[in-house]
Amino acid sequence: MLNVESVYKSFGGILALNGLTFSVESNSITGLIGPNGSGKSTLFNVISGFYGKDSGEIYVRGEKIEGIEPYRIAMLGVGRTFQISEVPEKMTVLENLLLAPKRQIGEGILNVFLHPLKIRRENEQSLKSAYEILELVQLYDLRNEYAGNLSGGQKKLLSLGRILMSDPILLLLDEPTAGVNPTLVKDLIIAIKNLRAEKGQTILLVEHNMKVISEICDRVIVLNFGKKIAEGTPEEIQKNEEVLEAYLSGSSKRELLHEDSRGQ
Amino acid sequence: MGLVNFLVYLAIMMGIYAILSLSLNLQYGFTGLANFGQVAFFCLGAYASTIVVLVFKMPFILGLLGGMVVAGLFGYVISIPTANLKEDYWAIATLAAAEIVRIFFLNEDWVVGGGPYQGGSFGIGGIPQPLRSLFSAYTYPFFYLAIVLVCLLATYLIISALTRSPFGRVIKSIRAGDNLPQALGKDVKGFRMRVMAIGGSFGGLAGCLWAHYHGFISPNQFLPLETFIIWAMVIVGGKANNRGAILGAVIIMVFYNSTRFLKDYLPIEEVTLASLRMVAIGLLIVVAMLFMKEGLIKEKKTLYYSE
Ligand SMILES: Nc1ncnc2c1ncn2[C@@H]1O[C@H](COP(=O)(O)OP(=O)(O)OP(=O)(O)O)[C@@H](O)[C@H]1O
Ligand SMILES: [Mg+2]
Repeated sequence: MLNVESVYKSFGGILALNGLTFSVESNSITGLIGPNGSGKSTLFNVISGFYGKDSGEIYVRGEKIEGIEPYRIAMLGVGRTFQISEVPEKMTVLENLLLAPKRQIGEGILNVFLHPLKIRRENEQSLKSAYEILELVQLYDLRNEYAGNLSGGQKKLLSLGRILMSDPILLLLDEPTAGVNPTLVKDLIIAIKNLRAEKGQTILLVEHNMKVISEICDRVIVLNFGKKIAEGTPEEIQKNEEVLEAYLSGSSKRELLHEDSRGQ
Repeated sequence: MGLVNFLVYLAIMMGIYAILSLSLNLQYGFTGLANFGQVAFFCLGAYASTIVVLVFKMPFILGLLGGMVVAGLFGYVISIPTANLKEDYWAIATLAAAEIVRIFFLNEDWVVGGGPYQGGSFGIGGIPQPLRSLFSAYTYPFFYLAIVLVCLLATYLIISALTRSPFGRVIKSIRAGDNLPQALGKDVKGFRMRVMAIGGSFGGLAGCLWAHYHGFISPNQFLPLETFIIWAMVIVGGKANNRGAILGAVIIMVFYNSTRFLKDYLPIEEVTLASLRMVAIGLLIVVAMLFMKEGLIKEKKTLYYSE
C-alpha cells in the first residue's frame, strides 16, 4: 500500500528524515512512534506532498508520488490530518464535514445552475453520513456551532470525522487522540477498527500513548532522528532494548532542546 | 439638477457600485482574496463595452457581454502568475495590475479606434445609450435605473447561489488557508482562478453600465481611489454577506454624494471638500473596523437541520 524508500528531508542543518525506509501493508493499522522531533510529522508532510523531499522515493499503491500537488495526492486516496488541527473558524462543524467528500457535483460553477436537484440529492446523501460520523465523534449537539469555538480535543475529533467523510484509502493520522478524553478514545479505537474492517482502509497513526498503540495497531514502526530504529508488533516493540534506550536517553535531553524549536 | 433627477442618479450609482461591491465581497469576503485592483475590472468592462458598441457598432447587450468576458478573462489570467504569492504580495500585485490597465488606456489611444474617437487622456465621448431614442430626456434615467437594477438583481442571485453551494463551501475553507482544502483534494489554485474570473466579469458588468450611463469615459475615472471606495463598502456593509455588500454600497454612496451639498452650508472650497470626502470615508472604515469588525450585517451561519 505504502512504500517509503530511503527518503531524506532536511531543514537547514536539521536532518528530519535520514534515509527512511519502510512499508505499510494494505488493510493494516500501523503505529508510528518516536521521541519528539524524530520526524513523524515531517514524514506525513512529505508523503502528502506538503513538503518536497530531498531524495528517495514514495509509492502509494504501486504508484510513484513525485512532485505533485498535495490536492492531487489527496485525490489518489491519501487522507491526512494535521498535528495542529486545521479548522476554518467561520464554518460550522457540519459544514466542515460536508466540505470533505471528493468530486462533489456542486463544486462546479456551472453545475450550481444546471443541476440544482442533483446537488440537493448529493447534499442529502452527505448529510446522512455526516450525522453518523457526528454521533461517532460525539459532536452531534455541536453540529451548528462554528468550528472556531470548539476546544482543542473537539477540533481533533472534528478533523478525524472530516477526513473519514472524504473516504480515503490510506489514512495518515497525526496524534488524532491528543486532548481527547480517555473513554471517548476507547470508542474511537473501536470505530477505527470497524472502519478498517468495513472499508478496507489502511491506517498509519502517530500516537504517543502506548496503550492506544497496543490496542489498535498490528505493527509499530519506531523513528529516531529521522531513521527507522525498530519495527514489529506492539509487544515486540515494548520489549525492544534500542527503543527503550531512545526514549530514555531522549526524553529529558531532546524534549528540552525541542521545546522552542519544534515544527508542526 | 432637480431633486428627483438627483435621486435617480444616486440610485443608479448605488446599483453600479453594489455590483462592484458584491464582486469584491465574493473575492475578499468569501475567498479571502484581498484584491486591491478591483477597479481594473470596472475599467476593462467600461472600455471593452465602449469599443464593442461605439467602434464596432454592435448592440448594447453584446457590449455588456464583451465587457464581462474581457474583465473575467483578465481576472483569470492575472491569477496565473500570482498564484504562489502570499496574501500581502498578492494584494500589491493586484494594485499594480490595475494601474497598468489604466496607464495602458491612457497611452494607447489606438485601442479605441484612434482618430475619430480620440481616447488616451482625452477619454472617449459619445458612447451610445441603449434604446435612448424611445425615451425623453426626463424619462430615460428611470429606464436606465431599471436596467441597472435588473443587472444588480441578477448579480445578487448568481453570487448568492454560488456562495450557498458546495462551491461556496470550498472557497470559504480557502479563506482560512490552503492546507485544509489541499488535504481534502480541492484544487485551491483552480478555485481561486475561478473566483477571480467570476468576480472579474461582474466587475466588468459594472463598468459597462457606468460607461453607457455617462456616455463618456477616461482613464482618470479609474484611479486606485475607486478600489478604496469599493473596499469601504464591503467592510462597512459586512464581509461575506451579500446583502451587507449591497447595504455598504448604498451607505457609502449616500455619504459620498451628500458631502457635495455641504458646500452650500460650509465655507469650504469644492477641491478641499473632495479630499475631505475621502478622509471621511477613511474614517468610516476605521470606525467600522474598530467597533463593528464584521460590518453592519454579519456573516450568516449556514445551518442544516436533520430531516
Ligand atoms: N517546517 C519546518 N521548518 C524547519 N524545521 C522543521 C520544520 N518541520 C519540522 N522541522 C524540524 O524537523 C524535525 C522533525 O520534526 P517533526 O515535526 O517531524 O517531529 P515529530 O516526530 O512530529 O515530533 P512531535 O512528536 O513533537 O510531533 C525537528 O527537528 C523539527 O524542528
Ligand atoms: Mg509531530
